[in-house]
Amino acid sequence: MKMKKQLASSLAVAFSAVLVWSCNQSDPDPKGDYVSGVFVSNEGNFSQNNGSVSFFPRERNTADADIFAAANGTALQGGVQDFVAADGKGILLVDNSVAGQDKVVFVDSYTFKSEASIGAPDIENPREAVITGSKAYVSCWGTNADLKYTTGYIAVIDLATKKVTKKINVADGPENLVYSNGKLFVGSTPWGAGNKLTIINTTTEEAGSPIATQGAANPVGLDANGKLWVNANDKVLRINTETNATETTLAIATEGFKSPGNFTFSTDLRSIFFVLSWFDSNGRELGATYKFGIGDAQIAMTTPLIPRVFTGLAVDPTQGLLYAGVTPSYAQAGYAIRYRTDGSVVDSIKVGVAPTGFFFQ
Amino acid sequence: MLWASLAFSIPACAQSDSIALEPVIVRGFVPQRFMSGLKIQPIDSAVLAQARFQNISDVLSAFTPIAFRNYGPGQLSTSSFRGTSANHTAVLWNGLNINAPTLGQTDFSTIPVAGFDQLSVQYGSSASVIGSDAVGGSILLDSRASVQPFHASIGRQQESFKNHQTHADLRYTTSLNSLWSFSGKTAFYDGRMNNNYPKPFRRNYQLLPTETFQKGIVQDLFFQSKKDQEISAHVWLTDNKLILTPDEQGREMTRTTAYRTMLRYRIGTLTSRTAWVRDIIDYAKGDLSRPDHSVTDKFATRIEKDFLINIGSNLNTVSIKTGSEWTHYRSRVPGYDRSPISENRTDVFLLTRWQATSRLITSVNLRQGLVSSFNPPFTPSIGIEFNVVQKEDYKLIAKGSYGRSYRVPTLNERYWKDLGNPDIRPETGWNKEAGLEQTFKSAFGGTLRTSATFYHNRIKEWTYWNPSRNYRVENLQQVLARGLELQMSYQRQTRSWLAGLDAGYALNRSSQEKAYDNYSQDIVGKQLVFVPEHSANANAFIQYKFTRLTGQFQGSGKRYTTFDNSQFLDGYGLVNLLAETSISACKMKLLVQGQIRNVTDKFYLNVRNNAMPGRSYAVSLTFSYDSQ
Repeated sequence: MKMKKQLASSLAVAFSAVLVWSCNQSDPDPKGDYVSGVFVSNEGNFSQNNGSVSFFPRERNTADADIFAAANGTALQGGVQDFVAADGKGILLVDNSVAGQDKVVFVDSYTFKSEASIGAPDIENPREAVITGSKAYVSCWGTNADLKYTTGYIAVIDLATKKVTKKINVADGPENLVYSNGKLFVGSTPWGAGNKLTIINTTTEEAGSPIATQGAANPVGLDANGKLWVNANDKVLRINTETNATETTLAIATEGFKSPGNFTFSTDLRSIFFVLSWFDSNGRELGATYKFGIGDAQIAMTTPLIPRVFTGLAVDPTQGLLYAGVTPSYAQAGYAIRYRTDGSVVDSIKVGVAPTGFFFQ
Repeated sequence: MLWASLAFSIPACAQSDSIALEPVIVRGFVPQRFMSGLKIQPIDSAVLAQARFQNISDVLSAFTPIAFRNYGPGQLSTSSFRGTSANHTAVLWNGLNINAPTLGQTDFSTIPVAGFDQLSVQYGSSASVIGSDAVGGSILLDSRASVQPFHASIGRQQESFKNHQTHADLRYTTSLNSLWSFSGKTAFYDGRMNNNYPKPFRRNYQLLPTETFQKGIVQDLFFQSKKDQEISAHVWLTDNKLILTPDEQGREMTRTTAYRTMLRYRIGTLTSRTAWVRDIIDYAKGDLSRPDHSVTDKFATRIEKDFLINIGSNLNTVSIKTGSEWTHYRSRVPGYDRSPISENRTDVFLLTRWQATSRLITSVNLRQGLVSSFNPPFTPSIGIEFNVVQKEDYKLIAKGSYGRSYRVPTLNERYWKDLGNPDIRPETGWNKEAGLEQTFKSAFGGTLRTSATFYHNRIKEWTYWNPSRNYRVENLQQVLARGLELQMSYQRQTRSWLAGLDAGYALNRSSQEKAYDNYSQDIVGKQLVFVPEHSANANAFIQYKFTRLTGQFQGSGKRYTTFDNSQFLDGYGLVNLLAETSISACKMKLLVQGQIRNVTDKFYLNVRNNAMPGRSYAVSLTFSYDSQ
């Protein structure tokens, strides 16, 4: 009964949000099956190249499992590493298990019709993308044929011509991206030897002097006060982007064997959620999801927000609900579970294989 | 019973093994003799000759319901026999299991038809006769002594996509002295698949660029004495190199090399066999010059004795084969937590065959395997064949079998670093099956054989590289595979004409029965991945003198690609056409063959989600000399 009430109220919020959003549109309404809702990036099973993007409007609790195949009649043929869109222009990062088959696919994000793609050698092992203005930045590991994660680059894509205009070298397997005010902050994969946060000036498209970190840097985003938060190993750093100085360091109690990941901000940019996970001796992934405030003196580890481990975590800026990806295994469909920011469950939606990312439109 | 009558109304199918009616001592290396009640399908030698430039999976998918999990042309191809996994098909070369001990399976893309002389497919569990791995069925490859004094042939097949295959062989036989005769075969094959596809995409799906090189040598020597002795030596060296995306920096190479050697000796009813097999797998990504190199040696020695037992003056004697096999494995694999590892396995067995009456044959077989640090279960089986109707022009045989199966864990399952489990238990299952076979001697002017077989195979402790445990191996699943096979074969011969049809349909329902965590509820009862529920095949040929025209059809229903059946590959049907003719003059023969593969240009996908090739062509010329 309580569940129903919650659902009804969240639906009401969803509808009003859609209503408000539609009224705000001055241009003719965009047309398509996917104008407003939640996109889930599913990595799929690596060797089967069966990743997909699932979609559901916020008021629904069932998803269309593979909207790219539905719109284009062809599957993506790889794992989906990321999907981002702005003003109806979307880009998908597709990672195939075999060298030379990775690509960036351009779609109309309202209809999901494919418009173009860029493959090797411009794009090899794409990891994450951000769009700002008429450009997209895509972090790529490069061929990484020796599996040592030493190389990498940021591919700069002109969204009008749909071409890579520049490759900016970033060593050690570049990964997470945060854009703010003419600067692109680039983290690196924990698999490599990365120990710095790379900063790229997007006007000159050159890398400036990096910020040294203890271990691979993983930029999370900018908080309500404009401060950059970065995870490195078992620390979370608050960095002043004007001076590049680390102002605060918070420790995560990892007990030496747990790894933090999937950091994401709340809508008000005053709290950060993250997952702390580890594998037990039987190979089972265990963990929990925590929350801390940007003004907290330390991260409270005694009571997790949600006593579960997730493969993806994001907050919908429209409704403020927390979306969490569950991957039972790489050989069956996963779920997107919606939580309120106090950790109470709203519902659970079956999506594609290995949901790791969410995009809200 | 409804199914059975349906089976009869659709003339369905099978070739049965010939049944000796007199109690005789069975000599030599023929395990099929003790498989009464099980279905055995010998593949016609004309079919093997027709496919001499191809791989065994081409023949098996054309003539049997075995489903192949294929990664692409010239790439990994593993079997699913009667709804089981790739680990559940035993592949026997002259009676020796040649599944790679590390993986416990055979990559059928590395077994060319040129490597053996005879092929039989045995359906269902026969672990009591064959041992480990014989759970879904067995593929029996055999070498046969030549009967021609001298025969030489050389041939080449040129195929679409700049692919080509070459094959040469010599067969010889001679009498050494008044007592001993000698015969042998030396064969050589060499193939190169460049897969140079003119169009790299089909319907926006890529045809993955790959190259496969395959070469090998086969040497068989047979010495036969009139004093009931036989010595034979067999060598089969084969090498297969596959490179994915050869033009990319991150290209991947898998090289599979096998040295297979065997020595057999038989005197009267005592047979011994000793074999050494070395399996090498080299894998590299990027820099191909320094691959991960894994080597596994298998030494196997077997001794067996045949005899007859009198069980009463009014009763027929019982044929018995008893013996023992000892196998030693030694493996160096970079991924293992220690290297080298070694393991010993011993099997003791007692096989019986009793022709109780002219209509009834039974087999009772017993086997016990003994493995370092754990033992598989005691493995009995019983099989019965009953001739219901025995008329001049009509025969009806009812068959049934009930037996245990087991599978000893592979070396990878036991020793792979972190993911393997040294304490993993052997799988164990019970297979039940029943079938009817009928033969019409003069149906439509020819011979018609049909068969219908039902099976029910429950396998417990099914090991599983558990994707929800970071691919750690566990005795997790319990799988029930059940289904129905209908087969028919028809052949009609007139003075210059020969025509035939082989067709089959199989229903394979194979599902996981036990839940092991919350989300496995989505999996229980669902069809196993890459096991089509429905499959069908047909081969029709018509031959006039030395010219033969063959049409083949292979159909596969939808194949699920995830355990919860949320994703699948569409079903497809492929049609191939073959035409062959030969010209002979003074002991010499020139054989010309043309093939059109995938005639209808059918679009279908492989396991990697890449497109398979459309219509393609092959032409071959084989020149041979026969001294007779």
